[in-house]
Amino acid sequence: MDEHPVRVTVTDDLLRNRWTVFFRLILAIPHFIWLGLWGVAAFFAAFVNWLVTLLSGTPPAPLFDFLAAYLRYATHVFAYVLLAANPYPGFTGEPGYPVDVELGRALPQNRWKTAFRVVLAAPALLLASVLVCGATYSFNAHATDHGGSITYYRTLGGVAATVAFLAWFAILARGRMPRGFRDLVAFCLRYGVQACAYLFVLTERYPDADPALPEAVEPSPPSPVRLVLEDDPRRSRLTVFFRFFLALPHLVWLVLWGIAAFFALIGMWFATVFSGRPPAGLHRFLSSYLRYGVHVYAFLFLIGGPFPGFNGRLGSYPVDLELPAPEPQGRWGVFFRLVLAVPAFAVTAALGGVLVVTALLSWFASLVTAREPVSLQRLAAFALRYTAQTDAFVYLLTARYPYSGPTTRVADEQLALAE
Amino acid sequence: MSARRAVALAALALAAVAWALVAVLLWRSSRVPSSLRLPKVRVADLFTAHQLARARAFERFGRIDWLLSELALLGVLAVYARRGIRFARESAAGRIGTGLLLGMLGLGIVWLVQLPFGLADVWWERRYGISHESYLEWALGGWLGLAGTFLFVSAALVIVMGLARVLDGRWWLVGGPVFVALAALFTFVQPYLLTDTHPLRDPSLLADARRYAREEGLAPVRIVVQEVHAETSAPNAEAVGLGPTRRVILWDTLLDGRFGPREVRVVVAHELGHLSRDHLWKGLAWFALFAIPGAWVIARATRARGGMAEPAAVPLALFVLVLLQFLALPLQAAISRHFEAEADWMALRTTRDPGAAKGVFRKFTTVALEQPDPPGWAYLFLADHPTIEQRIGMAEAWQRLHPAPR
Repeated sequence: MDEHPVRVTVTDDLLRNRWTVFFRLILAIPHFIWLGLWGVAAFFAAFVNWLVTLLSGTPPAPLFDFLAAYLRYATHVFAYVLLAANPYPGFTGEPGYPVDVELGRALPQNRWKTAFRVVLAAPALLLASVLVCGATYSFNAHATDHGGSITYYRTLGGVAATVAFLAWFAILARGRMPRGFRDLVAFCLRYGVQACAYLFVLTERYPDADPALPEAVEPSPPSPVRLVLEDDPRRSRLTVFFRFFLALPHLVWLVLWGIAAFFALIGMWFATVFSGRPPAGLHRFLSSYLRYGVHVYAFLFLIGGPFPGFNGRLGSYPVDLELPAPEPQGRWGVFFRLVLAVPAFAVTAALGGVLVVTALLSWFASLVTAREPVSLQRLAAFALRYTAQTDAFVYLLTARYPYSGPTTRVADEQLALAE
Repeated sequence: MSARRAVALAALALAAVAWALVAVLLWRSSRVPSSLRLPKVRVADLFTAHQLARARAFERFGRIDWLLSELALLGVLAVYARRGIRFARESAAGRIGTGLLLGMLGLGIVWLVQLPFGLADVWWERRYGISHESYLEWALGGWLGLAGTFLFVSAALVIVMGLARVLDGRWWLVGGPVFVALAALFTFVQPYLLTDTHPLRDPSLLADARRYAREEGLAPVRIVVQEVHAETSAPNAEAVGLGPTRRVILWDTLLDGRFGPREVRVVVAHELGHLSRDHLWKGLAWFALFAIPGAWVIARATRARGGMAEPAAVPLALFVLVLLQFLALPLQAAISRHFEAEADWMALRTTRDPGAAKGVFRKFTTVALEQPDPPGWAYLFLADHPTIEQRIGMAEAWQRLHPAPR
């Protein structure tokens, strides 16, 4: 498939000024005000753009340019606030910012797709909200005593917002933005701007959720914990429709196995702290447990098609997890493993929201088309990969910290490791 | 005929005789006085023509809906029994795991097939003001129960397929008793699975319930109210639990003022009658009488598919199970009516209030739209209680045997 017309280019060098990072939110206040004012104008411009495109089939060039500049400016501001870029952005949305957007030019669009644009864009906007800034949802609960009801509000933290929060501390300590964090924020912004461009009728191409596209310039660092995705995206509608219920025996088994794994982990921790190397038997047991969890969640969240086995055996499922053999680990790192994992837990929690939303969207899509959308599958696989890497780190199966960058391009060392 | 076959047939005959003997003993352990002759009750004298027509119209639709849903279910499961094995390609699990998948998908199909009939039933009950649930609430409200059923089916298949791997075609010898034990466990914990319940707060009714329990030879039994008025206006009560968990459940729709205090007491005494006559234990015994031969039939029926150790046998086993349940309905309904008649008799003996009993039974027609004289086939398959006609007849028979002192 040809490249998406809405592209995010990253020329950022990862270096950050600690002072501007420390005051980043305050410094961004003028941009927030200007973004809000411009947003009001963009709202009306988008409506007119929709109407004209519906009648003529092509967005008018002046409106296209106006809205493209607005989206570019919004991307600059979000990149600045979310610490994906360092320089203070301009107020005009001129190209040239280290995290920039290319929107191409106004092209003819299908009128039917234009007419129902708001409805069609809703799933993409839901996913974008979970990726960028978080989503708030509400639910009612009956209050039995008075017969009334209470409305509860819950907020899922957006991935980019969570990563930026963690990056703030990292930058203040090191003066550099971690590359995985920067790339993840850039991906979230890319999806967000593609969703908005689709909503504003600047393009008729649907947002692409594949986190590995376009291919990153730099490969991801080698990791001994690798998710293998070899699943056929064709789906049986019946197994999709009842997916949650079909996963129930696995979830029960996972909980029971998890109780044993909890005690195994305690034994593993003591043994590794004292000997500096995880015992092979416990390592094997926890590896199987972790791999089984990946199989179950892959099935539950529709990343994988077939019903998984109950033993977590390597090679038994098309969404699999490769784990390293036991290797020596630094004792201090093992001793403080849980504390060290706290930032990874935060990212995992944010990616959990992505898993839920992609599963929901995949559920509807697979019921209609009997195929899992590949881009959603890859995004969910990325979220699952990061979660598995975090768990492997916590279970002392590896000393390598999880890598949050969404690229699948692997370094030469990784290929050598896999071979 | 070979000697081996002759021995097998003799064993089968012996088992059938033993089954019949136990069944007769069980049946005879619950009864109303053998001398009791129910007087003929004319329903036209008890209800207005409008009341009768309304109850008949209401129940007729429900019966047709049920019949169509059963036929659709059997038809779809017959197709699934032939073609369900195709879904095995959706599994990356081993034999038992694939069997679980096929069993759960079968259950999913059952749910899907029954969904439109269930919705039609809700529509009809809403028309008559019996159900207060929205269609969405009905369809989605039972998801917790559905999840529990999926888990139960999974556990049952793990047991059966695991036993079949070890015992081959004789798995039913152990499997049948295991399921009876599971049914006993479920009956024991059932009171804890009920939602929206609270203890009965009416001190006068509580005092009478304690007295009835004492008169029926029971230790004090907890009386619990279940809040169902948001879903239905139908009145109901039930006796649940075994030993320390046994209790009487009264739906709050029974206590909303439509039934008088004396009528509610008849219902409480009826439910206590179930407990005092050990109907839950006897129900388990009947379950054993059906489950063990039923497991044998399934084991025989699935031999051609390699037996229950093979996933290919699971869709067929599901069809045979549902078919057996359908065929056993008349017997099960008769057993249930037998228990209910005895509980009615116990309630009359305890409360000595046939007038209140007749009042309750009448209101089951006027309030809950229960047809007092259902057609014969519906009585045979669906009536798990004596008809209103019979119940009022029993109250009159008791009254004749115990005339009020002048």
